[in-house]
Amino acid sequence: MVKFTVEGLRRIMDSKHNIRNMSVIAHVDHGKSTLTDSLVAAAGIIAQEVAGDVRMTDTRQDEAERGITIKSTGISLYYEMQDEALKGYKGERSGNEYLINLIDSPGHVDFSSEVTAALRITDGALVVVDCVEGVCVQTETVLRQALGERIRPVLTVNKMDRCFLELQVEGEEAYQTFQRVIENANVIMATYEDPLLGDVQVYPEKGTVAFSAGLHGWAFTLTNFAKMYASKFGVDENKMMERLWGENFFDPATKKWTSKNSGSPTCKRGFVQFCYEPIKQIISTCMNDQKDKLWPMLQKLGVTMKAEEKELVGKTLMKRVMQNWLPASDALLEMMIFHLPSPSKAQKYRVENLYEGPLDDQYANAIRNCDPEGPLMLYVSKMIPASDKGRFFAFGRVFSGKVSTGLKVRIMGPNYVPGQKKDLYVKSVQRTVIWMGKKQESVEDVPCGNTVAMVGLDQFITKNATLTNEKEVDAHPIRAMKFSVSPVVRVAVSCKIASDLPKLVEGLKRLAKSDPMVVCTIEESGEHIVAGAGELHLEICLKDLQDDFMGGAEIVISDPVVSFRETVLEKSCRTVMSKSPNKHNRLYMEARPMEDGLAEAIDDGRIGPRDDPKVRSKILSEEFGWDKDLAKKIWCFGPETTGPNLVVDMCKGVQYLNEIKDSVVAGFQWASKEGALAEENMRGICFEVCDVILHADAIHRGGGQIIPTARRVIYAAQLTAKPRLLEPVYLVEIQAPEQALGGIYGVLNQKRGHVFEEVQRPGTPLYNIKAYLPVIESFGFSTALRAATSGQAFPQCVFDHWDMMSADPMELNSQAGQLIADIRKRKGLKEQMTPLSEFEDKL
Amino acid sequence: MLYIIGLGLGDERDITLRGLDVVRRCVKIYVEAYTSLLSFGLSSDGLSKMERLYGKTITIADREMVEEKADSILSEASESDIAFLVVGDPFGATTHSDLVVRARQLGLDVQVIHNASIMNAIGLCGLQLYRYGETVSIPFFTETWEPDSFYEKIKRNNQLGLHTLCLLDIRVKEPTMESLCSTFQSIAAYSGNSLCVGVARLGCEDQKIIAGSMEDLLEIDFGPPLHCLVIAGETHPVEEEMLNFYRIK
Repeated sequence: MVKFTVEGLRRIMDSKHNIRNMSVIAHVDHGKSTLTDSLVAAAGIIAQEVAGDVRMTDTRQDEAERGITIKSTGISLYYEMQDEALKGYKGERSGNEYLINLIDSPGHVDFSSEVTAALRITDGALVVVDCVEGVCVQTETVLRQALGERIRPVLTVNKMDRCFLELQVEGEEAYQTFQRVIENANVIMATYEDPLLGDVQVYPEKGTVAFSAGLHGWAFTLTNFAKMYASKFGVDENKMMERLWGENFFDPATKKWTSKNSGSPTCKRGFVQFCYEPIKQIISTCMNDQKDKLWPMLQKLGVTMKAEEKELVGKTLMKRVMQNWLPASDALLEMMIFHLPSPSKAQKYRVENLYEGPLDDQYANAIRNCDPEGPLMLYVSKMIPASDKGRFFAFGRVFSGKVSTGLKVRIMGPNYVPGQKKDLYVKSVQRTVIWMGKKQESVEDVPCGNTVAMVGLDQFITKNATLTNEKEVDAHPIRAMKFSVSPVVRVAVSCKIASDLPKLVEGLKRLAKSDPMVVCTIEESGEHIVAGAGELHLEICLKDLQDDFMGGAEIVISDPVVSFRETVLEKSCRTVMSKSPNKHNRLYMEARPMEDGLAEAIDDGRIGPRDDPKVRSKILSEEFGWDKDLAKKIWCFGPETTGPNLVVDMCKGVQYLNEIKDSVVAGFQWASKEGALAEENMRGICFEVCDVILHADAIHRGGGQIIPTARRVIYAAQLTAKPRLLEPVYLVEIQAPEQALGGIYGVLNQKRGHVFEEVQRPGTPLYNIKAYLPVIESFGFSTALRAATSGQAFPQCVFDHWDMMSADPMELNSQAGQLIADIRKRKGLKEQMTPLSEFEDKL
Repeated sequence: MLYIIGLGLGDERDITLRGLDVVRRCVKIYVEAYTSLLSFGLSSDGLSKMERLYGKTITIADREMVEEKADSILSEASESDIAFLVVGDPFGATTHSDLVVRARQLGLDVQVIHNASIMNAIGLCGLQLYRYGETVSIPFFTETWEPDSFYEKIKRNNQLGLHTLCLLDIRVKEPTMESLCSTFQSIAAYSGNSLCVGVARLGCEDQKIIAGSMEDLLEIDFGPPLHCLVIAGETHPVEEEMLNFYRIK
């Protein structure tokens, strides 16, 4: 039975108050996709019976096989709410029909970039947490990401069935566990104070926390139970809700509520008495097949069962009973509709995060008001491979205006600069499509506030882009996404049969498009490099490359290699000078390490090339102790114009300096991308231009003279400032029972890791260990760990920071020196580092 | 010994007698080929004309060779006589002073043989050499590099009533005389009526010199490079008389 029509869906897309764009986020294996299924089932897209098993949003074969989500998948769902249910809803709405654009995203840290892409185009997030495992490292990461994008969260404590079936815990103990899970989540959320977004913490008694069993398709919020009991006790629903959580106890013997346990054996916490135990009772009755007891109970609860359903036994009976009594979709949907913002509400405050241009121009206003009549502003957050091999759908969100089939759009790529022609195309949208998990439905047009997939733009969009109407030449693009992970693990690929090379080149292009994070490059040595966030991410990318993008042609994959960064430890020991090839121009520079935290601030986008210089100089002077005037003299960021290195102009009274600025910047972009040590990216270096002497005539100080000189002087400055290597370090979280700890410590020690936190999970024999582990040591770490702990420990690695290697890379025999030699060899560079004398000119 | 020899402006026969003697004596001969064009072109034919006349093989030295591999030229010069030919006068294009400095630092003897340069031959147009201000070159504009510091210099010259010699980049014809004149008009210092002299291939047989207002010069096709433009400052009656020969009728 399918309950929706495309026409119906399209109709609600126009009522912007009745739309919810939301993503489902969680740690790996906490049950997102399974829970999503229940929602999909309620929309009538898959049958209720198989909900929980289909994983509608895991569209790929490998996702189904591994049982994890790899790509985020969108699905548009239609619901009709009952008047009764909407009684308490205070916000704006038009009618009872709701459209939920839901994006299921992966939970494994390696695929965090997919989460980032999902968050950008949604306004709310359903955070799923396993009630036993609690808040894990990835829960924290994605939650922070969501809040950073001003996404309002609601929480569901999932896998409730484990409490009843597997662990069989008592009510009070269960309550304490849930309470802790919610508290841990709130601790993270509390750190985000945002006056526009308001309080983002979640409270069961306010209805922003649900309790669910995704696998069995049931869930509830305290609202459900409060409704049930309010009439019985003759109190207000809201009052009842408050009693069902926290320090409220009820004694059926005295029929009195107290705020402390009175000590009487019949006195129990409200939650336990009225929510936990009834469920427990129903479940155990079902499991024990006590049908004679069950039917009267169900009747009392107002649950009706069909004749054929009454025939079921055991687990299937339990599942069906619970689904009929507390359908997951009702509870979760109500929570989402009541507590997550509609696009029209969310875009009011999100416009600041989204729009790069002035916040008072017509485009900002159109986004702010979610105006369907305004100019088109659409952000493409990812490219989805189409069944037609080699083609892609552009998937994104319309923030204002409408996108329609045949519309001519202006495509502004990530390198587009307003007013210039770079990275800018004008093309027609061939088809607009609504995404329905495994299937897609074409529609005439899609108005603002909705997600959309478009056909025909894949040639012109690499990973993401901003689209607007053809004529809107003044529009600025929507801000690029900041990823929480970086592509630090790399492999070289080559084809087994040399004649497959064109396939490989084409395949790599497609791979780069299909994944928000993966980076495909060619080394000077001619090697094709694929870089990803982690071992698993790379494995999936390479599989895609071979099977989907190269038509199964065989490829050879090298051992993984890690990218390093080059930095400096101190200020240059002297001002270095380089002369231009014609010797008539001289550049003087010094390098110094950036202040602590500045590189991270640039990574996070708190400080960037497109900031208002006043705001930037304020942050730099207040937080990093920069001189106010100096902060205004930043020439550029690099590499890629946004990286964590700076060029600052310290010259005084030099004529024509502006004329060579572009050339110096170009030289710096080049040099910061390929440092002097091993042509790795630089990081955390501030280059100060101390003085410049130029030829009197412009023709003798062109790019040809200045660019190579700037590069040389930058290298000389780097080499005189005690250069060091930075290596990427993972934060590893491991859960394991006590007896496995010895093995874990052993493996970590052997791999240069160090533990900085070890806590026992309250109420469990499990320990939670957090450690830092150099990425280079992480290959085979999972396997070694499994072997050392007889499979009891599961690590989750997420990139955390760059760590300076104390060894001096200039000494050939040091560890860093050895690493550099290896990298240079791999890249096909001269094995000896170019000496300082090649870069520095002496007078 | 390193001889730096000016070739003059016209064709291969503009070399001085002394220069020719030296060339014939030298072991190796380089011709610098990037600060200017030999007006007879750099085709193999042009070079062979030179080679025929001088009776020697000649090596073309591009910028990279002169700037970055100068050491090899200099080391050759320390052992034998080497000639380095430069179009115009050796020091017309200022960049070669570096070569002299480096040679001297190595203790080499350097002899310079002068010749005519645009810097003095421009006197032909009638404007007196003593009345010129700072010379500017106007580089080839790229999408990202549009230096404009020459505006300032021209403006300063104008304020002092001096003439300005503008040398145009040897690369292609951009910026064209036309586009330049219109850019200059946008500078407050000049109007469409300002007196200018357009000069093409000075010193060659087909040289072209035309004086007139900026607006008028816009209309004229000067033919292939090299081009330069003189913006006249205050003029002396005798200067006027000379200029009149070139005026657009």
